[in-house]
Formats: sequence, C-alpha cells, structure tokens
Amino acid sequence: MSILAVENLSKNYGHIKALKGISFSVPKGSVFGILGPNGSGKTTLLGIIMNVLKASGGSYKLFDETPTDDHRRKIGTLLETPNFYHYLSAVRNLKIAAAIKGHGEDDIDNVLETVNLAQRKHSPFSSYSLGMKQRLAIASALLGDPEVLVFDEPTNGLDPVGIAEIRSLIKRLSAAGKTIIMASHLLDEVEKVCTHVAILKQGVLLASGNVNEIFVHDDIAQIAAADMEKLKTLATGLPQHKKLVEADGLLELHFAPGTLDLSGINKYYFDRQVTLSHLQLKKNSLESKFFELTN
Amino acid sequence: MTKLLKIEWLKIKNYTAFIVIGIFFVIGVFVTNYIVYLVNKNIVGKMGGGLVNAFNPYNFNNTWQTSSYATGWLLLLPGLMLIILITNEFSFRTSRQNIIDGWSRSEFIRVKLLLGLIFALVSTLLVVITALVFGFASQTTFGTNGISHVGYFFLKALSYNIIAIFIGVLIRRTGFAIGLFFIYMGAENIISQLLDVWSLKLKRDGIGDYGSMGDYLPMNAADGLLTFPDNPLRSIAKNSLPTDYYWIVLPLALGYLLLFLWWSHRRFVKSDL
Repeated sequence: MSILAVENLSKNYGHIKALKGISFSVPKGSVFGILGPNGSGKTTLLGIIMNVLKASGGSYKLFDETPTDDHRRKIGTLLETPNFYHYLSAVRNLKIAAAIKGHGEDDIDNVLETVNLAQRKHSPFSSYSLGMKQRLAIASALLGDPEVLVFDEPTNGLDPVGIAEIRSLIKRLSAAGKTIIMASHLLDEVEKVCTHVAILKQGVLLASGNVNEIFVHDDIAQIAAADMEKLKTLATGLPQHKKLVEADGLLELHFAPGTLDLSGINKYYFDRQVTLSHLQLKKNSLESKFFELTN
Repeated sequence: MTKLLKIEWLKIKNYTAFIVIGIFFVIGVFVTNYIVYLVNKNIVGKMGGGLVNAFNPYNFNNTWQTSSYATGWLLLLPGLMLIILITNEFSFRTSRQNIIDGWSRSEFIRVKLLLGLIFALVSTLLVVITALVFGFASQTTFGTNGISHVGYFFLKALSYNIIAIFIGVLIRRTGFAIGLFFIYMGAENIISQLLDVWSLKLKRDGIGDYGSMGDYLPMNAADGLLTFPDNPLRSIAKNSLPTDYYWIVLPLALGYLLLFLWWSHRRFVKSDL
C-alpha cells in the first residue's frame, strides 16, 4: 500500500509555476525525504496534500483513497511553521488540536514529555523560544499516535542537542512502524534518517526512490604529476574508472563505490615511467553532492 | 455543530481581548440606554410645551424601539471582536492548522458564522433585558406593542457581524481589516446621507417618492429599519419626508445578509490559506 501517491501535481501562483507536474509515491513504513533547496516547492507540495493550498492541476491519493478530512485526522503534520494560539498555553493549544483530530486529551502530557516541554506546559505559547515552538508543533503532530507523520523542516530553529533528539525520535517512530514524510533542505538530515527520497528543484522532480540508489557516492582519487598532459593521456587506460575531471591543477578520477585502489593507480603510473607528486583519496562532501544533484 | 462550538469556545474563553470587549459591551448597553433615559427625563421632559414632554421614549411600548435603536450604535463592538477573532486565525496561521488537523474548510468558516449568530442573539437578549428594565423604571404598564423593533435589532446585529466576518476573511490582517470596516461604514454612511437628501429633493419636487434611498445600501438597510421613536413633533414633519418602505428595506437587508454569508463561506472554502 502506498501512503501517499502524487499524480502530475502542479501549482501556479500567478505566472510563477511552483510545481510542474510532480508524480511519486510514498510506500508504507518508509521514512520519505523530500529534498530540495529553498523555494523548490516542498512546502507547496505538502500544503496541497494537507488541503491548505489548492492544486492548479493533477491529483493525489492518501492511503490509496480519494483524500478526505478523516484522512488528515490520521496524519500528524507540522507544516512550515508552528501554528498555535499565541495567548494560550501549550496544554490548552493541544486540547484544541486533540479535539479537532477527534482524540481524547489523555496523551497530551505524554507528547509534551516526549519533546521535553512538560515543565513549561502552562506557559503561554507567546513566551516560547523558537526551538520550544518547534517542539510544541512536533508534540502536536504526535497527538493520538498517528500512523503517518508529515514533518516540514522538523529541525528548524533547534539547537544541536534538539536536532539530535528529533532525529532519534524520527528513527524511533520509524522503528515502531510509522510512515514519515519529511521535507528538508539538509541533505545530511535526509541521508541520516530517510529510507526514500524525492529531490525537487524549482518545482521539478529530479529523482525519487531508495536513498541508497539515489545517493551513490563515487570514490574519487586526486592525482598530480610534473607532466599533467601525459598523466591525462595515460588515465584513459586506467581500468574501471568512470570519469575524469580536472580541478585546481589536479586530476580527479571517479570510481564506482568500492572499486578504488590507490596503490593500483600508483603502480599503473609508475610502470609507465610517471611518478605521482600527489595521490589522495577525496571525500565527496555532502554539499558538493547536493550541488551535483540540484545543478 | 455543538462539537465545533465547543472547540471554538476553547479558543476564546481564555482570550483577554474577548473578555474585555465583552464586558465593555454589556456595560456599554446599559450605560448608553441610561444616558438616553436621563437626558429625556431631566432635559427634554422639563422643557415644557405639552406635546414633547408628554412623550417618554422608555415608556411601554416605546421602550422596545428606543432600546433597540440606542443599542444599535454599540454593535461595532461585537463586529470588532469577530474581526479580531478571524484575523487572529490568519496571523497565527491556525486557520491552516485547524484544516491540517482535520477540520474541513467549510466547518472552519461555518462555526465562525455561527459565532456571529450567537453574538447577535446575546446582543438581542441584552436589548430585551434593557428594554424591560427601563420600561418598568418608567413606571408604565407592560406591553409588547413595537417588539418587532427587537427583531430589527437582531437583523442589524447579525448583518453587522456577518459583514465583519466577511471583511476578516477577505483582508486577513487585523489592522487593515478593522480599518476597512470603519472606512467602509463611514463611506456608506456619507453616501447614504447624500442619497437621503436626493430622495427628499425628488419628493419635494414632486418627481416621486422613492423612500429613503440611503437605506438601500448593505449596512444601512439593516440600520434603516431601526429609528428613534417618533415624537409628536417629528410625526408632524413626517408628511414631507420620503416614506419608509419597510417592504423594500426588509427584504433588501435579508438579501444582503444572505449574500455576505454565502460570500464569506465561498471565499474561505475556495482560496489558498
């Protein structure tokens, strides 16, 4: 069963096309990351699914059915910002959310405990820090122990400890069999917690699928020698390498994961009378991966 | 619907602005009527000249009309409250969150419109109490003649409230919405006065009696049904004024009410939140 299936969804704000025919589906039990830079359409996409925005075209299904209000009651959602009545306390705000979702009030203390807000539960929302507001929004999403959770930038405004807590919470929820849909502009976050990913850029879906398939990291060897031209010509004869890039006076040789053998490269050139002045394994940073994916 | 109302009550019962404006309104209704009562008793009533001083606006049955008319001026307060409650939802983005949590858009706006109805009913109840209090204070015999004015008051209260909700849904920002509410009211009143002068001129010149045309505008339609009781002097002057066509103004007022109800609902259900 797919929890969410999006079919050719599009959204225009006047002339601006925020979503241009997006299709993908979220399998049950997955942690599904929606990754993209700011303004790529992540929140717009989730807003349409939560019925706060109207799609310009296309359709979507929740739990393999035409979406209804009842479906949304079964999904715990944090969309974009923590939305609460400023003059009410955490507990009173959660009572309203629980009533709308059609749950009792008995797990309010529980969810506040989960996000470490129990001590401030009677203070008004307006007195909360950014991080506390975010925690309350996550607490609200957890009300009624829903099978599906939607988190839009869940670690926004949190300190490093808070970020680590939320990530471990997401992992715990996933281990308990929940399906989690998470939008983020942080590749690192998506890579650490997600099983599946959809990559958006300027309203276009660049890729979607299993994280291990999408985020394949090439192993890269950087080499240099006195005669760079000869180095380059000989490189074509190197076994198994996929691609060759020149950068900052170095040659970068890309290999499929697990096939890079530095001493083999050294030997290859040495046998052909070239001594390498530089030979190094390059770590492909997540940022450069992100640029690679979205550029 | 009771379930929705209970949730709405959770939202407002601890809201200071709601409590403060509510208290102001209740006190305001009694104070306003008391001032009118005192002015009449101590100034108009002592002017002498038979015709006028025999007239007491708070005698039964005048009291129904006078209380309705005098209290009508305070209906800005519930309207203001409704604008604040609606625009709060937009600025807190709880209008989004309520939908995300499982309300339909129609449920969200329906319960707000219902709140407008409840505010109107409570205001009307206050008018009834005030009318009774001042009626009995004037030491006259109870009577229900003219109680239809309480009905007009209810219609006016409801119209004001629904227009306020509509402006809130349309403008979304508290300051701008309140501003527009006042500007619109002011503008409509000025246009209404001009139309009334024109109506007077048309009648005087013998072209035709089209009624007080100022009363054909949205807010003034509900207003036009409520007037201060005619004292004997005004009754004499009435022959030269355009006729008040209740059979035009009443359906118009109801029509405007339905239009704004429908429009508020449609606007909230159709737009991005």
